[in-house]
Amino acid sequence: MDGDFLKLLPENPLLRIQTRDPKALEGHRLEATTVMAFHYRQGVLMAGDHRATAENLIYSDHVEKILPLDEESMMAIAGSPAVALEMARTLETSFEFYRRSQLQTMSLQAKVRSLSHLLKQNLPAVLQGVGTVVPIFAGVDRSNAVAAPAIFFFDPLGAQFETASFAASGSGSLNVKSILGFLENWGSPVPRKMDLKQATVLALRILTTAAQFDSATGGVDPSAGRFATVYSLSAAGVRQITQEEQGTWWPAAST
Amino acid sequence: MQGELFQWLEAVRDRGEYVRDQLSHATPVFAVSRPEGILLLGIGLGQSKIFEVYDRHAVAALGNPVDIEKIRQMAIEAAHLEGFNRSPEDVTLRRLMSFNLSPALKNSFESVFQPPLIVEGVFAEVGETQEEDVLMEFGYDGQFGSVNDGLAVVSVNKAAATQAKTWLKERIRPHSNRHRTLGLLLAMWQAMSTGRRIGKDIKAATLEELDLEGRVVEMALLDRRLPGKVKYQALKVDA
Repeated sequence: MDGDFLKLLPENPLLRIQTRDPKALEGHRLEATTVMAFHYRQGVLMAGDHRATAENLIYSDHVEKILPLDEESMMAIAGSPAVALEMARTLETSFEFYRRSQLQTMSLQAKVRSLSHLLKQNLPAVLQGVGTVVPIFAGVDRSNAVAAPAIFFFDPLGAQFETASFAASGSGSLNVKSILGFLENWGSPVPRKMDLKQATVLALRILTTAAQFDSATGGVDPSAGRFATVYSLSAAGVRQITQEEQGTWWPAAST
Repeated sequence: MQGELFQWLEAVRDRGEYVRDQLSHATPVFAVSRPEGILLLGIGLGQSKIFEVYDRHAVAALGNPVDIEKIRQMAIEAAHLEGFNRSPEDVTLRRLMSFNLSPALKNSFESVFQPPLIVEGVFAEVGETQEEDVLMEFGYDGQFGSVNDGLAVVSVNKAAATQAKTWLKERIRPHSNRHRTLGLLLAMWQAMSTGRRIGKDIKAATLEELDLEGRVVEMALLDRRLPGKVKYQALKVDA
């Protein structure tokens, strides 16, 4: 009962379909990936690797885990891809439908709650251990001139938390949190003072580091021209940092 | 039985007259396919006439604002449902009109114990090239049809709309810039709204020259050049 949701399952059976062996779920990786979001000078940077794994098998090295939902919000997915991608598609349609039908954008709080609601609806799949999703969400309320982009993270049951600094999810997240936590305290500059180029290079460096310690994280492969999925969110909206831009900026990460 | 049928036909005919009379107070809306996308223009008394429907779709409509709203909501719901259940590429104007909007309009018009929808307009679907653009005019009775020459002028006065279209076709060239095109549309709006004879003496107008009497100019562009999936862009009035 140390806050580990998976350990709660055998002790508090809510559904009878769970395994009889309490140890069967131990070591079962539900979030084999690395995605992160942190504040930089102009807003929020969100980045993720491209690797998808099934246990010890590399399923694909071409997966997009950062998904723009509309011009003002984006989501990083970790966990069951089928459920996570469907959640992103549902939110994307829901936000656009609301904007067009109501002639105004959905508020940031409502968007966050929409994702929270989907996570709650996904509870049965979570209890079965087949559909856990632990996303990160970033959004900005552009109707408010002074509003800054915000980062939210969730637990698998839908509890939402706003973070003032950074969030990470997936099997490589511990490495990410350690690095970003260190830089928040002693970095020069600290991530929130970085410009877009610096922040992108930092994200690439962190993913490379995470890949060194986590086999489920793909990292980046500059020799093959394959970098990460990186998006920025500022008052101007969501913007993808292209592979070409990352390729141009990467040399700065290796010096 | 025969009498009831006659009464129904009479009622439908009366409804047609009533709807046309109601629409006669509305000013025209325009849609023009251009190299950069589809331009839509409408001028109203503060309530919108131009709306985004889906990623590549928009509508320009005239009539009762409540009924415009009903058609708009119907189109948005149908498009998003189709886009979610299948894919955004499966949302096409032909299917939206044929299977959703037209039957609803016809049903509303012929249900004589319910108020008819007082609305006409044009739906636009921007393609990757100008040749792929689709414009579809629709009427209050559910009739609809493709506009094959890339220019739609919608007004309850069909004779005036035809004259206006001929006038515009003679003057809007493929290389005409957007400013020039808007000037011609504004001039035609003014002429049709005031009942002026459409002839060679009418010149392209600017917003300053128009006698808008408190009306609001709305312009939008379904811009095929935009990089994202959403192509709709409301234009500033001075664009």
